[in-house]
Amino acid sequence: MASLAAKGISKVFEDGFQALTDIDLVVEPGEFVTLLGPSGCGKTTLLKTLAGFYDATTGRIEIGGTDVTAAPPEKRDTAMCFQSYALFPHLTVAENIDFGPRQAGVPKAERRARLESLLRQVDLEAHRDKLPNRLSGGQQQRVALARALAMRPAVVLFDEPLSNLDAKLREQVRREIRALQKEIGFTAIYVTHDQSEALAMSDRVVVMQGGRIDQVGRPEEIYARPETAFVADFIGAANLVPFEDLGGGRVKTPLGELRAAVPPAGNASFICWRPEDVELVEAGAASENVIRGVVRDRAYQGAHTELHVATGDADLGLQRLHVAGAAPAEGAEVAFRLGADQIRFVRSALA
Amino acid sequence: MVSLSDTAPVAPRRPRRPAFRRFTISNMLIAILLLVCVIWLVVPFGMAVLWSLLDPSVRWEYPDVLPPALSFARWIEVWNTTSLPMALRNSYILAPTVAVTTLILASPTAYAFARHDFPGKGAAQVLTLLPLVIPGFVLAIFFSALIFSLGIYSRFLSILLAHSVLFLPYAIRLMTVAFSNVRLDLVDAARDLGASPWARFRVAYWPALAPGILASLIIVFIQSIEEFAVAFVVGAPNFTTIPSILYSYLGYNFVRPNAAVVSLVLVIPNVLLMLGLERLLKSANPAQTGVKG
Repeated sequence: MASLAAKGISKVFEDGFQALTDIDLVVEPGEFVTLLGPSGCGKTTLLKTLAGFYDATTGRIEIGGTDVTAAPPEKRDTAMCFQSYALFPHLTVAENIDFGPRQAGVPKAERRARLESLLRQVDLEAHRDKLPNRLSGGQQQRVALARALAMRPAVVLFDEPLSNLDAKLREQVRREIRALQKEIGFTAIYVTHDQSEALAMSDRVVVMQGGRIDQVGRPEEIYARPETAFVADFIGAANLVPFEDLGGGRVKTPLGELRAAVPPAGNASFICWRPEDVELVEAGAASENVIRGVVRDRAYQGAHTELHVATGDADLGLQRLHVAGAAPAEGAEVAFRLGADQIRFVRSALA
Repeated sequence: MVSLSDTAPVAPRRPRRPAFRRFTISNMLIAILLLVCVIWLVVPFGMAVLWSLLDPSVRWEYPDVLPPALSFARWIEVWNTTSLPMALRNSYILAPTVAVTTLILASPTAYAFARHDFPGKGAAQVLTLLPLVIPGFVLAIFFSALIFSLGIYSRFLSILLAHSVLFLPYAIRLMTVAFSNVRLDLVDAARDLGASPWARFRVAYWPALAPGILASLIIVFIQSIEEFAVAFVVGAPNFTTIPSILYSYLGYNFVRPNAAVVSLVLVIPNVLLMLGLERLLKSANPAQTGVKG
């Protein structure tokens, strides 16, 4: 278990493509941090730079306080779980797990002890002598995890390890990974493009876009208090509306005049609210923050019904509402209220 | 943790076809294939065996279906009166050397083709195939002139050089495929787990390369054993190979039984090698199977 710090990392590839810009990130010992973002946001590049497969163009990387910026992957105290699992196809499960310690020259008795305890922890004792291609995807994933953990690495790096599994299995394996992480206590950096995975697993989430970090925070913070329009939109669903500051928490928007509990910061350019934060009210209700519109379509989702509501301003597009219980029909006129404390202000994008 | 079992979907049974339709299409194709096999391979090969065993005291003429008397006399005669023992030694020293040399020369090119993108790659790939389209004798004549003007007088070395150039296309093709089968994620994983360069090679490269290396060695070996034009033009008369002896039977002193003996000496080891190659290429390569869900 060790801390990891990336200071001012940027990465420019040979073809001139700038994949990372000024990445600053500190991961505490034993912390589970997710790098989240759409494909092409640089999250995997950052992970591979941390692992040592790419050289950072500028910046420093420290693991446990030691500068490893110039160290190759085989000399770094990190172990990676690959998206493809990258299991050695002609080695058995046990040989795969034992590969790292054997390379490191760990004494035989110690190696055997590690192997046995890992096989037990990932529940693969019955499959120890099988070749990887005889295993299911979930089992292969667990072999890959055990192989990485056999190195007793300071930091375990996960490169979208669940993306080849079906949805149900993904949820199960992600709980297993988290349980193992708590049990063994390794520091983990986990790359994913799946926001629900990131929210469910992480101590902290790092949202990335265009090679930069947009926001870092606990899952609850990221969801409840997004700082940029991108984060608001990428994590969950959000309605984003431009505004004009009238002072004292009052803003003018295409939806009408609204009052927010907290006044906007100077660089904010949108108001944002979550679809589930609205409350349907009587059509005639006259109180503050009430917005009227027409339901254009509805989609029943089980726990709630998603409504797409057209408001007065045609350019604005449809607003998304999640309504529990009985929902109005298509074409119905609705009025809904936003709580003053549900209105957040976000920056447009990159600071 | 809950153990996960594969639930393979049960494939729906295809409706049974009427028996006569299966008979007409697939069985007929198999029958035709067998027939072609017999006419093209088994009959000539069987004839060669019979001719080589024909006793010198009798003649095998119409209407005899089989030779009237069999013996190993022809084999003994060829072994004692021609330079076959010497040619065998020459061929079986030359061919393995050519196979290894070609493999070593082909590998860097194949690596570049499989792993790198560079301007003119397509043209380079076509260029490396050129030796295949140049007729052997044309190459042999000009190559011998080139070799002598370079001051290389060793027949062995000359043929070695010529054969290596001639058979490079096979080795490059096979090794390109082999190198593109190397999975980079395995190389990365091995590095990440602290593997030394040698351990990395063994665990990530070798399993993907081995079938290609063996196939390349065997194919070049067989090509070199059977090659006549260069071996004859550059090597004759001091350096005889098995095909040189075989070709010497074509012409004025054509003795079919003796030619049959030399053909079999040439062909039987190659057939055995080819069967071995078949098995190698067919052997399940776990590196090729993908990830199951």
